[in-house]
Amino acid sequence: MLYDIKLKITYKYDNDADVSRHIVRLVPADLPGEQRLVAGTLTIRPKPDEWINRVDFFGNKNVELAFLNLHREITFSVQARIERMDIISFLDMSPRLSNLASEIAGYQGVGSWAPHHFVGPSLRVPIDKSTTEYARNIIKDDTSVLDAIKAIGSALYRDMRYDPEATTVETPMLEAFKCRHGVCQDFSHIMIACLRGIGIPAGYVSGFLRTIPPPGKTRLEGADAMHAWVRAWCGSNMGWIEFDPTNDMLTGTDHVVIARGRDYSDVAPIKGVMRTHGEHTSKQAVDVIPIKQ
Amino acid sequence: MSQQGKKAVDDPVALLLEDYKTMKDVPDELIGPEGNIRPVWSSLIAALSKMSHEEITLRKARGDQYLRDAGVFYRQYGTQDAAERDWPLSHMPVLIDEEEWNKISAGLSQRAELLEQVVADIYGDNQLVAKGHLPASLVANNPEWLRPLVGVKPHSDHFLHFVAFDIGRGPNGEWWVIGDRTQAPSGAGFALENRIATTRVYADHYARSNVFRLAGFFRTFRDALLALRENDDSRVGILTPGPMNDTYFEHAYIARYLGFMLLEGEDLAVRNGQLMVRTVAGLRPVSVLWRRLDAIWADPLELDESSRLGTAGLLGAVRSGNVTMVNALGTGILETRALMAFLPRICKALTGQPLAIPNIATWWCGQPKERQYVKENAQRMTIGNAFATRPLFDLDDVSAVAGTFNRDIKQTIESWIDHGADHLVGQEAVTLSTTPAFDGDKLVPRPMNLRVFLARTADGWQVMPGGFARIGPSSDSAALALQRGGSVADVWVVSKNPVPTETMLGAAKGPFTRQQPGVLPSRSADNLFWLGRYVERAEHTIRLLRAYHIRLAESGSELTPLLEYLGEFLESMDTEVAEGLPNSVINTLASASNAAGHVRDRFSVDGWLALDDLSKTVRGMSKTATPGDDMARAMSVLLRKLSGFSGLVHENMYRFTSWRFLSIGRSLERAMSLTNLLSAFTDATAPDGSLDMAIEVADSSMTHRRRYAVATNRDTVVDLLALDPLNPRAIFYQLNDISGHINFLPGADQNRQLTPLQRTILQAHTSLELHTPSSLDITALNSLSGELASLSDHLSAAYLR
Repeated sequence: MLYDIKLKITYKYDNDADVSRHIVRLVPADLPGEQRLVAGTLTIRPKPDEWINRVDFFGNKNVELAFLNLHREITFSVQARIERMDIISFLDMSPRLSNLASEIAGYQGVGSWAPHHFVGPSLRVPIDKSTTEYARNIIKDDTSVLDAIKAIGSALYRDMRYDPEATTVETPMLEAFKCRHGVCQDFSHIMIACLRGIGIPAGYVSGFLRTIPPPGKTRLEGADAMHAWVRAWCGSNMGWIEFDPTNDMLTGTDHVVIARGRDYSDVAPIKGVMRTHGEHTSKQAVDVIPIKQ
Repeated sequence: MSQQGKKAVDDPVALLLEDYKTMKDVPDELIGPEGNIRPVWSSLIAALSKMSHEEITLRKARGDQYLRDAGVFYRQYGTQDAAERDWPLSHMPVLIDEEEWNKISAGLSQRAELLEQVVADIYGDNQLVAKGHLPASLVANNPEWLRPLVGVKPHSDHFLHFVAFDIGRGPNGEWWVIGDRTQAPSGAGFALENRIATTRVYADHYARSNVFRLAGFFRTFRDALLALRENDDSRVGILTPGPMNDTYFEHAYIARYLGFMLLEGEDLAVRNGQLMVRTVAGLRPVSVLWRRLDAIWADPLELDESSRLGTAGLLGAVRSGNVTMVNALGTGILETRALMAFLPRICKALTGQPLAIPNIATWWCGQPKERQYVKENAQRMTIGNAFATRPLFDLDDVSAVAGTFNRDIKQTIESWIDHGADHLVGQEAVTLSTTPAFDGDKLVPRPMNLRVFLARTADGWQVMPGGFARIGPSSDSAALALQRGGSVADVWVVSKNPVPTETMLGAAKGPFTRQQPGVLPSRSADNLFWLGRYVERAEHTIRLLRAYHIRLAESGSELTPLLEYLGEFLESMDTEVAEGLPNSVINTLASASNAAGHVRDRFSVDGWLALDDLSKTVRGMSKTATPGDDMARAMSVLLRKLSGFSGLVHENMYRFTSWRFLSIGRSLERAMSLTNLLSAFTDATAPDGSLDMAIEVADSSMTHRRRYAVATNRDTVVDLLALDPLNPRAIFYQLNDISGHINFLPGADQNRQLTPLQRTILQAHTSLELHTPSSLDITALNSLSGELASLSDHLSAAYLR
């Protein structure tokens, strides 16, 4: 699938910020075999005084920006064309859940996607009794790891209410879980906590999702949104798979990856530190437009 | 110990050691295995035994006096107010023979070098994990493993530059390492203070004993830090978390001692990959940072985003190779308790040698065999968090000591271990050697451990010949943490031969090191400016209060028109007069202390103590003083203490930029207070007695009598308190002062255009100069008040951001 992706995010501050520094992860990733970045540009207004490109521990492209003069508004725009490869349906080669621990222990390495990074608690995903027990209640038998992942993802889809008004980006995962509501970020964090709770390494993916308009309607301009889902490890043979608990599906050609990490804080689209006071507001518009070939 | 043959009363040494009962199977520093005093101690013990009760008391008091005068304190966490505590000096030093010390030094240097290799691998290509010497999980799940720094090589080629080890002597008499301190080891400054205090106690004896001096170590390390700079223009700073940290005193002390800037995260900024310090003269490069801040707080952009102590972009500066961190960010991972389980093997694998000084036996429960062993031997172990980096004796987490939990846990130790195996570690419980400590006049044996400091220099690792000993409050080894009632002692490394005397100044050989030109960080300038303002504000309020309560006492508590008017005026300053001491005074002085606390490195200890004394007095009064005469007298006491403080500061402070900001703050506040005072009390509608009261509040009654042959009238009062260039209590005098200081501030070059700040002061100054007493009416005073306020804004914009 070929897509044109357009994104525009505007931040407005109540008061002048005199210096600010940001890390931005907004441009779709180039992932050999999964997704090809045909073209991608990031434009920022006002023009940043410093601009540093680098690749982080998990292989994501990070842009670090600094503004050194007074500013009240920043606009980030992305224009990208990407090709998302078809994912060939795969055989379940994952081990039994009871064998996963020894596979992890036998993995002697701490490279970016070693399972060890994804088993313990991370900044936004504590491992809690409540999520672990929830997961244990779903996985009663010693199933394959892949089946366990799918079962937990589907259970969350069934038990959680999608509600964009109920949570914000700062709502703690456990609070969203207690109320069984939230958005893709909450769904994903909760699923990660459930998986790690029963010993399955799990991480967080940020990206875009193509939305398919209801039959007979046209796609609304700017109505798509940034999205998030879960990445989980199915043992050395099978490696990593991705599951979208908000839509109860293994990810496919509709999912476009930006960045991957342990949880939201590793991949936050825009993270900033500034010298100012008061509040800010932000606005975003996203379009994921399929190109007919 | 009891010596045979002689009766205790005849032998002063035996009398001194009457209560000194060493324990079975526990080695003692003072008494050797055969029951004799070890040679290294004999002369100190002999000297002590000849001292009378009074002399010992006097000597100890001398040491304590020094610590009080120097303002040495540490901050205790966990209590409600994180209070500052007196430094718990044990007046008995720990003595170690030079030969034994050399062995310790060699062993610890080997360990420091090993840790350097380990951390380079953990942040490099991870061969230790790949080859199975270190479990991947201990690295990947370690909160001290900072992913943004993986693959980043330190600019200086070294991760470690200054480390400390906690060591103790075990039952067989050999030394053991019980903790590695690599993140931001504290205690070196305290070791210095212990030394100075202890030499006060044993002044005469110390001079005769061959005790190695500490200054040479610090001089070498200072020079090593200076040599790490990019060039002579860039600076070395000490990064502190700030006054609320438990060892802030030490940070300020070390900064003063070594002559480096003491910086908080807010002082720093990153520009194009270069670390800069915000100073009153603009941004200046910093290329070496000795950090006392844990890495996780260092950069809110890439590390803990909730940190308010760090500097956004610091990691970028590190990656650009423009700053050397001492120690590198991320080296905290070496403190991980579980690492000790693997170091013996790693040492053999990397160096082919065993550890010269072993660390205490440690088993990580993430391995099946080891887990089983820990379960079976829980009775003789301390089991706790594998990732803990705190010293062994701080049982902060849930731990099981000798088979018993330190918290109320409803679980067996076995199931606790099975459920959290990867996160738990068992360490052999150690009984540490004892050393003499005073219990009254008598010496008693107490468990101890040593913190030993090592610095990397051009010639390799240098070991501080001495250190910092923790002494337990009872005979139990497990209670050695300072936070729970232990004490600290100096460590004397004693030679058989005379030792060189050393000072920080060093001998005049080879190229001399130039002191770095002083630059004043903007935050320090800001705190000094506000310190000046708050102290002056407090004084002015207190003078007004005194005037009020004197008149209240005279009128027999009846509210005269003047009292009512003054009461309202005070209320407009948020100062309630109805009850005793108003909160506004307490708060203003608290703000002054807070500001002073941030600039402790630039501020005389006497001045600090005077301010502390003032706050204590105020807190005492707030409960007792009653309106009228009592309050008036209390206010006089406060005024005397305030002038004591101002005198100490202004008489003793070096006339440099710091002093100028303090002085500008004071002058500006005084000019503002006087303007408001005149505006209220020279108004035509002000009640009778207002003019005399204004003169009294401005402490100018005597001058008025001498200068004018008439009774007070509006013209004489305005002349004396606003326009007189010779009266320090006149607005014009204060503007002259401010203007003088401003011309010496950076950027105020006479040949260039006036800065906005200079323009504002010139305007205020000139317009006041042109006024006569009668033209300086209420409208003119109010507009002057506005000009003074904008002066403060311009000053902030130019220097204090």
